[in-house]
Amino acid sequence: MESFVTELLTLLFAALRSATPVLAVVLGEAMTQRSGVINLGVEGQMLLGAMTGFAVASISGDPWLGVLAACGAGIALSMVHAILVLGCRANQIASGVAVLILGGGLSAYYGIPFVGNKIDTLGNLNHTFVSDIPLLGQFLGPITPTVLITLLAIPAISIFLFRTRTGLRWRSTGESQEITRNLGHSPVPYQLAAIAFGGLMSGFAGAALAVDYTANWVEGMTAGRGLVAVGLVIVARWNPWYALPAALLFGASEALNLKLQSWGVPISPYLLATLPYLIPLSVLMLSYRGLRASGGGMPAGLRVVFQSAR
Amino acid sequence: MKKAIRTLLATSILAVSVQAAADTKVGFIYVGPKSDYGYNYAQDQGRLYLEEHMDDVETVHFENIPENADVQRVMERMVRSGVEVVFPTSYGYLDHALKVAEKYPEVHFAHSGGLKTSDNLMTYFAEIDQAMYLSGVAAGLTTKTNKLGFIAAHPIPQVLRNINAFTRGAQSVNPEVTTSVIWTSNWSDPTKEAEAAEALISDGADVLTGHVDSPINYVQVAERRGVYSVGYHADASQFAPEGWLVGAVWNWGPMMVDIVKSAEDGTWKSEHLRGDLLTGAAKLSDFGSAVSDEDQQTVLDRQEAIMNEEFQVWAGPVIAQDGTVLVEEGDVMTLEETEKMDFLVNGVKGRLK
Repeated sequence: MESFVTELLTLLFAALRSATPVLAVVLGEAMTQRSGVINLGVEGQMLLGAMTGFAVASISGDPWLGVLAACGAGIALSMVHAILVLGCRANQIASGVAVLILGGGLSAYYGIPFVGNKIDTLGNLNHTFVSDIPLLGQFLGPITPTVLITLLAIPAISIFLFRTRTGLRWRSTGESQEITRNLGHSPVPYQLAAIAFGGLMSGFAGAALAVDYTANWVEGMTAGRGLVAVGLVIVARWNPWYALPAALLFGASEALNLKLQSWGVPISPYLLATLPYLIPLSVLMLSYRGLRASGGGMPAGLRVVFQSAR
Repeated sequence: MKKAIRTLLATSILAVSVQAAADTKVGFIYVGPKSDYGYNYAQDQGRLYLEEHMDDVETVHFENIPENADVQRVMERMVRSGVEVVFPTSYGYLDHALKVAEKYPEVHFAHSGGLKTSDNLMTYFAEIDQAMYLSGVAAGLTTKTNKLGFIAAHPIPQVLRNINAFTRGAQSVNPEVTTSVIWTSNWSDPTKEAEAAEALISDGADVLTGHVDSPINYVQVAERRGVYSVGYHADASQFAPEGWLVGAVWNWGPMMVDIVKSAEDGTWKSEHLRGDLLTGAAKLSDFGSAVSDEDQQTVLDRQEAIMNEEFQVWAGPVIAQDGTVLVEEGDVMTLEETEKMDFLVNGVKGRLK
């Protein structure tokens, strides 16, 4: 029994580790979409964040400086999307794809001199009081700061979005820019802030990967996790609280894929590798039955994005 | 589109950089970044060795060239701008290289790891599984849990050889040993590699190794979690000052010098050139402090035996996962058989497909 509990906890914390970068992006992208803007470029922002964070950590020797730089890089690249979408009224889908490719290319090019460098990590909770907690201590100890920061972001975002006046206008902009305008506000500052926040979170997610989790930079190291996060925003129904189970679902499927292989379970590794995509997709389909009429929580303003894309 | 731009850039830079030279021009093509601290890094170290040791040689090189028609265009441009010896270094370049080689019979091609030749295309590789076998010996002597972990990208023969050689090496000194394999289905996915390492460690593995593009990820996780690691492709000991045992590394330089010289003086042979521990093309890295002097000696004695051909890694009995005897005692697998390996040996936990 105890070994079963241990295995379960091992899996849960492995899921949390894998989920963290994805969770950060889901939170950021949900906020962006709450203002009526879709940004498909988060994967590119993650990559630029990962590379910049690793490079700065490598040059300065301070991984925290790397995390800050990663957030900055994410915001900077998201501004390309902001200029194209808000400034030039460009198609959001096309602009997002442009940002995605730009981020991939820039990070690959400027990251070359940093491959194979060694950086200091952010540390973890080992040797603090939590590692002395019986049973849980061995799992809580290895938790790293980016995991905690991302988890703390959930209530912070939720309070901002649902309990403040600015949050209300943010949401109403996402539902209808018309209403915001009629109330005498311009939607542009909200959407600009929303895109920048998405950039910040995806840059941070890049740092979680490159500076914290792997302490390594490799071209294209996000391996599609940014795009998965855009999909998970729908599973999370644009709600910061639901973002946690949605991201954990992905993290757990990924951890389970590797864990089952390690146990020597006689299932093809090719089939197991589809788990992180198959499971969230199934949950999406099941949980949306009956929700279709209400749009599953989609900000009404997002419909415009797809209408204008026609 | 990105690839097309890359190829365009690559070829236009090439055209400028080669014009000035008058010596033998040698071109290298890598599938990934040369700074990957893994496979491509090792090939590029060979290129640098070539430049250093042959005064009359000038090299050009291209990174991140995909294994499709793009690589043909890069090769054609290289040839037209005066490159006389081409090193397409990735496994998937083989058929493309054969096509271009047929078109330019006066140019020499040396492909890394393939099993096809033509009049002006040879292949070169090294039996690095010998070094993996020796690393396995070190791992088998060191492990306390008798569980080893192997993080592997794709089930191709080169990877299977290394998993099997590593396991057989460990079993030769510690029959209790098993190797758990996790496939990441990607040559380079640092997050997955790190998480695979975590999964193996939490299931009791206390020595990790792998065959992915770069050893850095799993070596760093092993160090953080206080277990041992064995490197592959390149020496990653700086990432694990405590837990580094040893690693299997490439040393392409001398072999590349021989190939280019044979193209210059007309002794070029269309063959499968294979290096090993003896020729030095595949090597054992330095030992880490975690390996005792006595254990180091055991590994070095075994290395001596392999070099003297008293001992062969693929001598029978070779037993498959399900217990089938694949090679009888007294028989030895041929080069062709090992390079087409499609099985896992007894003691390996994991599925092929």
